[in-house]
Amino acid sequence: MKFIGIVGTNATKSTNRQLLQFMQKHFSSRAEIEICEIKGLPAFNQPEDRVAPEGIQVLSDKVEAADGVIIATPEYDHTVPAPLKSVLEWLSYTSRPFIDKPVMIVGASYGALGSSRAQGHLRQILDAPELKARVMPSEEFLLGHSLQAFDDNGDLVYEDKVTELEECFDQFLQFVDITNQLIKNHSFQAEQNKNFSWEKASEGGNN
Amino acid sequence: MKFIGIVGTNAAKSYNRMLLQFMKKHFSDKAEIEILELTDVPMFDESDDQSDSDIIQMFNKKISEADGVIIATPEHNHSVPSALNSILEWMSFNLHPFDGKPVMIVGASLHPQGSSRAQLHLRQILDAPGVNATVMPGSEFLLGQAQKAFDENGDLKSEGTVDFLDSCFTKFQRFTEIANLLNVPEDLNFKPGTFEVTAKGHNGDLPMSVTLSKDRIEDIDIDTSTETQGIADVVFSRIPQEIVNGQTLNVDVISGASITSHGVIDGVARAVKMAGGNPEILKKRPKASNIVQKDEEYTTDVVVVGAGGAGLAAAAKVLDEDKKVIIAEKFPSPGGNTVRAGGPMNAADPEWQNTFDAIPGEAHRLKEIKDMKLDDIDPEYRDDFQELQKQIGEYLGSDGKYLFDSKLLFRIQTYLGGKRTDLQGNEIHGQYDLVKILTDHALESVKWLEKVGVSFDKNEVAMPVGALWRRGHKPMGPEGFAYIQALQKYVEDNGGKLMTETPVKELIIEDGKVCGVIARGANGQKITIHAESVVLASGGYGANTKMLKKYNTYWTEIDDDIQTSNSPAITGDGIKLGLSAGADLVGMGFSQMMPVSDPETGELFTGVQVPPANFIMVNQQGKRFVNEYGSRDQLTQAAIDNGSLFYLIADDGIKDTAYNTSQEKLDAQVKAGTLFRDDTLEGLAKQLKMDPEVLVDTIKKYNSYVDAGSDPEFGKDVFDLKAVKAPFYATPRKPAVHHTMGGLKIDTGTHVLNKDGKVIDGLYAAGEVAGGLHAGNRLGGNSLADIFTFGRIAGENSVEDKQRVEQND
Repeated sequence: MKFIGIVGTNATKSTNRQLLQFMQKHFSSRAEIEICEIKGLPAFNQPEDRVAPEGIQVLSDKVEAADGVIIATPEYDHTVPAPLKSVLEWLSYTSRPFIDKPVMIVGASYGALGSSRAQGHLRQILDAPELKARVMPSEEFLLGHSLQAFDDNGDLVYEDKVTELEECFDQFLQFVDITNQLIKNHSFQAEQNKNFSWEKASEGGNN
Repeated sequence: MKFIGIVGTNAAKSYNRMLLQFMKKHFSDKAEIEILELTDVPMFDESDDQSDSDIIQMFNKKISEADGVIIATPEHNHSVPSALNSILEWMSFNLHPFDGKPVMIVGASLHPQGSSRAQLHLRQILDAPGVNATVMPGSEFLLGQAQKAFDENGDLKSEGTVDFLDSCFTKFQRFTEIANLLNVPEDLNFKPGTFEVTAKGHNGDLPMSVTLSKDRIEDIDIDTSTETQGIADVVFSRIPQEIVNGQTLNVDVISGASITSHGVIDGVARAVKMAGGNPEILKKRPKASNIVQKDEEYTTDVVVVGAGGAGLAAAAKVLDEDKKVIIAEKFPSPGGNTVRAGGPMNAADPEWQNTFDAIPGEAHRLKEIKDMKLDDIDPEYRDDFQELQKQIGEYLGSDGKYLFDSKLLFRIQTYLGGKRTDLQGNEIHGQYDLVKILTDHALESVKWLEKVGVSFDKNEVAMPVGALWRRGHKPMGPEGFAYIQALQKYVEDNGGKLMTETPVKELIIEDGKVCGVIARGANGQKITIHAESVVLASGGYGANTKMLKKYNTYWTEIDDDIQTSNSPAITGDGIKLGLSAGADLVGMGFSQMMPVSDPETGELFTGVQVPPANFIMVNQQGKRFVNEYGSRDQLTQAAIDNGSLFYLIADDGIKDTAYNTSQEKLDAQVKAGTLFRDDTLEGLAKQLKMDPEVLVDTIKKYNSYVDAGSDPEFGKDVFDLKAVKAPFYATPRKPAVHHTMGGLKIDTGTHVLNKDGKVIDGLYAAGEVAGGLHAGNRLGGNSLADIFTFGRIAGENSVEDKQRVEQND
């Protein structure tokens, strides 16, 4: 399986990046995880022409090609960081590669809560008609106290968390399989979603 | 009432903007609504803090001053747009203007849902601790199918909708009144007394006593005896002053000293707690400095940008010519990089130097110059070089036992010391006419400084670190600060106006002539200064890593987190101002590093700093990697090649040769984790995550080289002590930016030149902001000679050019 892992922040120092790097290493025998950065991608500004800037298109192609996507999100002000949201806005506004894509959400935070509220928001966001990702339900991986969570080799030091992450990842591998079966005969609706627009929806269109 | 309305998107077309514009118009008799746009707000990035930028400061100020805020949010993907997230993240990172602020949420969308889900997210976001707004409950205003909602005048068509908006707004006005009552300060009572706490300094904790009466902070006294003079003292005088004057803990931290600023504030907060008070009340009180200031306008003869040594010297010369001068300084106190200088300034003064005895090695150095081939010297220096060889010949022939020097030796050493080739094979050496001015006139600068009030120690001729000859004139008193102290007094006594915390943002250019500057004042006001001429004396760009990396052609790599020995003020502002006037640049790829700097702070005087004879430098694997006697450039490049971070290993005996420290300081640094100590080398290696065997082997070999007096590995040939006596120390070091040689292209009269080599009328530059003089490497002691010589010239010419023009007219 080939996944991409999106670092949900543009910060130079991020424990969410460390978490993805750990997953990349730890699960290397079971899946290939390519880590994608969002630093430096332009801020979404809803241009008339609906053309994705180059960096966004590159990321879009990677999402499109991947068997699944892992998003690691920090929490800023009870929600996902602006840079991550901006990327999702671009993708939903232009190429829409997330439609029917299996997605696993993970997150790390310095405090005890482990980005729980940001993850909740992210699920709702990915559910929007222009994104329509297949987010793995019933599994969440929250890493609290993330500043102390990694040793110098980048390994996760909390053993129970490693086990939890392993189980979560197992579930995701299965989820990817099941989702692919589920969406096999779904091309008509998927095509509709590709062309979804709120302008049309509000006119009673999109049918 | 005054409200701010934020358009929650940066899209060119927005129904939310229309909604706010309608509200502004419709409610104009009830309240003033000012609409703010997100178009120019940069994407939030916690690793690139832009809280100080104009746009973020503008939002902060407007929100702080408003009675309440109305946010109109569209819905993107079931949530608020990232552009709105971004401004809220900036407003909850270092600034917190939303704290306790009444907020009304409205939203418009194409869909019948009318941004309902976005509004719920927004409520949760505004509730986050960093934002902490007081959001009006209920009265949700959702405008669905917004594309049909407005008529051609931008008015809402539906009467029912307008009625509902009226009722929501009326409720918000009442809510604002009531919610703002929560922001009215509470009474505060202390148990009177003096409370001993600590404040965080650069070099460890500082004792602080806070005296409180029944309801006031009466006095804050901080013992700063362990801090570097001139750098930190602003924090320790200004912050306490603001706290006491304003009876508030809501004071702005001082840029470049945020840790120490917070240290003072936190210390006072602890004292308040000890006295039974609630420091949160003090933190919520209004800012002492937050009085809205009107824009200011001044007219003067010369405006100088930057109050370091060059700027103060230029200003002093303007005053000598009976003209008016204003100095605009970005930081709260004058001094720039000059206060960080070691002190001695180079000037050839043979009469004085000849009274000292020569020391071993000096004759050898002279002989090396005498034996150099003329072909190796660039053509413009050859006449001077041959004349110098003659002088040296006569001196050596007379068997001189005294210290030799001449303007020519100064000139040739400055030229030879500055010659470098970058990674692309470009050779650079000092521009002859500038080097000649420096070496001919530096002594006049010394004499002039004496007149201004700097006294020099005549009993010692110093060789500054990184210099080639003993010609340093060392001021009495505290190092670089001695110059600034005297010059500042001279300037102020003679009527010069020094405006601190006044960063210059742009030049005023009319018909190709520079005729003033526009700056920003401490309270955000615009300051316009009209002048006949502008002198840029704002220093180099050593504290601007982005700019360094952009121009660098000399080092194979510059780390993103590289530190600097420079003042954090030195960010290339003057170079950018010069570029805006069309200036040409020279030598920008060349920067100088100080190889043995603190990895966290860039400071030189932490850890165990010993003479090079006792340096043992090991890389992160525990192996030596360079001859410790190498030049600054050699040590720096070797460090970069070994991953930048390296360690100075010392034993107890070597530690005693340190010239920068005391056992107390070392103990504190070990405790703080900035210095490593262990009773065995193996233990030390473990602390440093090295293979113990490797480090033990390295030191064993080094000790054997000391015994043998020679080092077959790296060729170190001067040794002093072995590392044998526990405890052992490891001082982490990393190269830090020390000086930038490149800058604005100037002529010998300090006129800034454009790309065609023509003078830019009205613009002058002196000191590190200008390039061409030091070329690839600045000799120790030459920067002070540079700033006082070219600073004086800039001051003189900025007045005289104008007078000449008037005579010709």
